[in-house]
Amino acid sequence: MEELKRKAVKVPISGYIALMIALVIFSGLMAKVGGGWTMLDFDTLNGKFGLMKSATASFMGQGGSGARDGFLFALSLAPGVMLALGLMEIVEHYGGLKAAQRLLTPILRPILGIPGICCVALVSSLQSTDAGAGMTKALRENKDITGNELLIFTAFQFTAGGIIGNYLASGSALFSYMTVPISVPLAVMLVMKLFGANMMRLYCKMFVQEEK
Amino acid sequence: MSEEQNKQTLVAQETITAEVNSSDTIMDVFVRGARKGWKVAIDNIIPNVLMAYVCIKVLNVTGVLAWFGTAFAPVMAIWGLPGQAIMVILGALMSMGGAVGVAMSLFNDGTLNGTHISILMPAIYLLGSKIQYLGRLLGTAGVPGKHYPVLLGISFVNAAIAMFVMKIIAP
Repeated sequence: MEELKRKAVKVPISGYIALMIALVIFSGLMAKVGGGWTMLDFDTLNGKFGLMKSATASFMGQGGSGARDGFLFALSLAPGVMLALGLMEIVEHYGGLKAAQRLLTPILRPILGIPGICCVALVSSLQSTDAGAGMTKALRENKDITGNELLIFTAFQFTAGGIIGNYLASGSALFSYMTVPISVPLAVMLVMKLFGANMMRLYCKMFVQEEK
Repeated sequence: MSEEQNKQTLVAQETITAEVNSSDTIMDVFVRGARKGWKVAIDNIIPNVLMAYVCIKVLNVTGVLAWFGTAFAPVMAIWGLPGQAIMVILGALMSMGGAVGVAMSLFNDGTLNGTHISILMPAIYLLGSKIQYLGRLLGTAGVPGKHYPVLLGISFVNAAIAMFVMKIIAP
């Protein structure tokens, strides 16, 4: 755990740049700017399927149903998922996640009532529920967080778990049908995660005796 | 240290360290991530979405979906959604990918429109995979079972509020 703490502190400058670029790409900010800037937009990079010759539907066709239609639809999601996870891998590789941890550490206590040491687990939990769960367990076992802090922290993770990973993976299927930019539901969900954790914070304060 | 703990520490370290291997070009890194995406698509999304489409087919053929549509119309109307949208919410509790499949299927047959999808989107994830997460998250992290109802309740409240917010925002 000491090792984890030490590593979490060092953030290369590329990390902040990677994080910023990722925020721009996934926020859809550049979609309307036009010109070459749209290369920084997830939907633009994801592109479209072509239409069959002299047809109005893509390879999924129209009017399908059942397992066959489900299969083709699910297959059509694969490119978006691969693009999203490929981009995330780059962000992680250049230290973008470390930068996010660094920026979040000082604000965890005021906004969530949990110590800054949870930052690594928190950022991981946004990408993968299982990674977050494993690290949270380790934090509690090392007595880095109290029983009540565990409750608050898991309340944060439990609703919309692994949100960034899941939203970009399966959600990408619906992105083109939404009437709002892809960043709007994401922002709403992040706010609700904070809200939910704070409801748990209140509940703990009122009803849960802190275990030693 | 138990084997399980070892594994978790490993997961933790993999997540944070992001070793900078100088021989990897940005393309190599991207391909590595894309490969993970392919695995997610094959192992997770395709089976889950296929299952959701089959469920919707069964509900459609038996007339249950239409019945649900009528029965839940007054409830879902609170968020400006048709009654059938309840299936997306129920699907979400099992799996997020499944719920997306249900939403897509209902969009294709004209039951849901783009605004409905936007309203449902945050709810799918805020309520997503609750059943799995009881084990995968709360069980793993060691949360006492007596707090599960509160945690579930918070998720439902979150989803309800998020849908109100989206109803206001989404054109």
